[in-house]
Amino acid sequence: MTELLEIENLSVRFPVRKKGAGWGGKTYLTAVDSVNFTVRKGETLAIVGESGSGKTTAALAIARLVTGETTGQVRLEGKDILPLQQEQLKAMRRKVQVIFQDPYSSLNPRQRAEDIVREPLDSLTGKSASEKAAIVDELFAAVGLRPEQKRLFPHQFSGGQRQRIGIARALSTRPEVIICDEPVSALDVAVQAQILNLLRRLQADFGLTYLFISHDLGVVQHMCDSVAVMYMGKIVEHADRIALFSNPQHPYTEALLSAVPSVDAKRREETRRILIPGDPPDPLNLPKGCRFASRCPIAEPRCSESEPPLKQAGNGGMVACHLREAG
Amino acid sequence: MEPLLKVENLRIELATRAGVAPVIDDLSFELGHGENISFVGESGCGKSMTALAIMGLLPDRIGRIASGRIIFDGEDLTKASEKRLRDLRGNEISMIFQEPMTSLNPVYTVGEQIAEVLREHEKLGKTAAHNAAIELLDAVRIPNPKGRVNDYPFQMSGGQRQRVMIAIALACKPKILIADEPTTALDVTVQAQIFDLLRDLRKEFGTSIIMITHDMGAVAEMAERMIVMYAGRKAEVGPVQQIIEHARHPYTKGLISCVPHIMADPTFEREELTEIPGIVPGLGEFGQNKCLFAERCNMVVDKCLRKRPPEAVFANGQKAACWRAEEV
Ligand SMILES: Nc1ncnc2c1ncn2[C@@H]1O[C@H](COP(=O)(O)OP(=O)(O)O)[C@@H](O)[C@H]1O
Ligand SMILES: Nc1ncnc2c1ncn2[C@@H]1O[C@H](COP(=O)(O)OP(=O)(O)O)[C@@H](O)[C@H]1O
Ligand code: SF4
Ligand code: SF4
Ligand SMILES: [Mg+2]
Ligand SMILES: [Mg+2]
Repeated sequence: MTELLEIENLSVRFPVRKKGAGWGGKTYLTAVDSVNFTVRKGETLAIVGESGSGKTTAALAIARLVTGETTGQVRLEGKDILPLQQEQLKAMRRKVQVIFQDPYSSLNPRQRAEDIVREPLDSLTGKSASEKAAIVDELFAAVGLRPEQKRLFPHQFSGGQRQRIGIARALSTRPEVIICDEPVSALDVAVQAQILNLLRRLQADFGLTYLFISHDLGVVQHMCDSVAVMYMGKIVEHADRIALFSNPQHPYTEALLSAVPSVDAKRREETRRILIPGDPPDPLNLPKGCRFASRCPIAEPRCSESEPPLKQAGNGGMVACHLREAG
Repeated sequence: MEPLLKVENLRIELATRAGVAPVIDDLSFELGHGENISFVGESGCGKSMTALAIMGLLPDRIGRIASGRIIFDGEDLTKASEKRLRDLRGNEISMIFQEPMTSLNPVYTVGEQIAEVLREHEKLGKTAAHNAAIELLDAVRIPNPKGRVNDYPFQMSGGQRQRVMIAIALACKPKILIADEPTTALDVTVQAQIFDLLRDLRKEFGTSIIMITHDMGAVAEMAERMIVMYAGRKAEVGPVQQIIEHARHPYTKGLISCVPHIMADPTFEREELTEIPGIVPGLGEFGQNKCLFAERCNMVVDKCLRKRPPEAVFANGQKAACWRAEEV
């Protein structure tokens, strides 16, 4: 399989006011710090990690939707998209679309459903009105909305139906990649299942590649082909789905998996809960060595000395930990 | 022994613009001393309303207890005065809410807010209350409690704020702690810490806990019994592990199987998730003499649309309000 997306040394930093630095004191919060990964065409890469770890920022940077200073390379089909402008940027936007978490605030309340779905076609393509209408009809059917619902406004839909509108909108330009940022987190479990099934069906039908952000590891296990685990702006582990869930290498991944409550009595018995005390470090005052050291149950003195690079791991993936390199 | 809390045939009506509807419709259940039960179900099924009824905090003017009893420690709370209910809240029955930021007052330090409860309910003096607040912060494992007691809510992380809420709820050693989706907004590692804390408190003080959640995994970890709510009614009740292994109500079964549960040994193949079609009906649909789940049920028969199903009682303690419970 070919690499559709190649992310190289991607960093995003936001200017923030510095406490105690007086008037005009400015510093930078590095939300994403030299991240590297690739995504194959047709696969789903999940990004997991606790809130504030930089998942959304990384995803939005890949969609060219982030406000912070972005450096590094994001290659789509071999071509770096970060420098693109105007027509080329539009062409790229047709290929990379986003589905957001909140089906309430991400849809314009004053637009009708059909206008919302058609909007990317209006702004990114030169298609005729009749072509666009035909595409909208097709999309409504594909995501399980009825034709007569085209004229309704967002508040006339349930949460799940609003997410279907968001999905139809993302599909309208026939993108290669769809970034799904917590697409089911705001939905009830029954509706969540409907949307997850829909996303998998659409992936097969349209050959889509997903970047799937979620904090629900059960959902991730069901949806992804591989997983990148983020902690404080860094990828600490990246492995295939089965390797990551059955043989996690990074202590943070282990802690994360062990914290998931389970209905499976056998799993509950077998899982040794690894408690990680305290909170992550202040993003404006990161420690010198491993960012996880203050909470890591197996940290050694050297962990606070130097930052562990992402290297080949024993489960066939990559891990950033001094104690868990392969060999 | 008498249960600590006994809810009998409770009916709560809400008067909305569309008319009066039973948001809780003939609900009965018991909570034992030191027991942990969970309420589960999708949003809009009446879980929070049940909690608010027990707390005597139904929405002003529009909500009322139409019939039934809430017996706490031998006393019928539906007959209690507003003053008596206020006394019970915080002293005997406490509640923690989903979003700790909105339930903490932003202009007071967390220490002041805990001390306030202690002074009102335990009649402690200023210094004693302040010291007790530090102890409570320590008990809910806030690091450096002596320093953090002077923090304002915004200076704390979401998990820390939720721990402060728990400290406030525990300030008076309540007999019942009601936790309404206490970890929904938190990361799993923080959720695990909060669950551990709740378990310890229960062990130490014998507190009974009612936990409201939509996460079956959390139910399995925390509760002995669960009550599944649907459209204001009890769909199923019984021991947690038993229900997970063999639910007797199609709704419960759907709730368990529609979720992609994390597996210790994931397989390469992944089945489609079981879907429960449709959504929970709105309040206006509640109270009809039929099975309110019928539109979404794959086992529906004519009878379900004509008559509200009675509770089928099983020998193992499970009960399910379904005409076809034996076949599920
Ligand atoms: N526009 C912004 N300005 C300043 N800081 C930001 C901005 N967006 C995100 N951040 C910060 O970047 C970090 C990562 O945030 P985010 O990408 O939203 O994480 P996640 O999606 O994993 O929860 C956080 O510390 C957050 O506060
Ligand atoms: N203050 C209110 N006014 C009108 N309807 C309400 C009010 N509070 C709750 N409801 C309705 O009552 C039903 C049950 O709500 P709730 O108890 O909050 O459910 P849950 O906690 O299970 O999500 C829902 O249909 C909800 O819309
Ligand atoms: S490098 Fe050290 S502190 Fe960091 S995860 Fe590995 S063992 Fe823990
Ligand atoms: S009573 Fe009928 S409709 Fe209701 S859950 Fe049982 S089988 Fe389904
Ligand atoms: Mg995010
Ligand atoms: Mg609720």
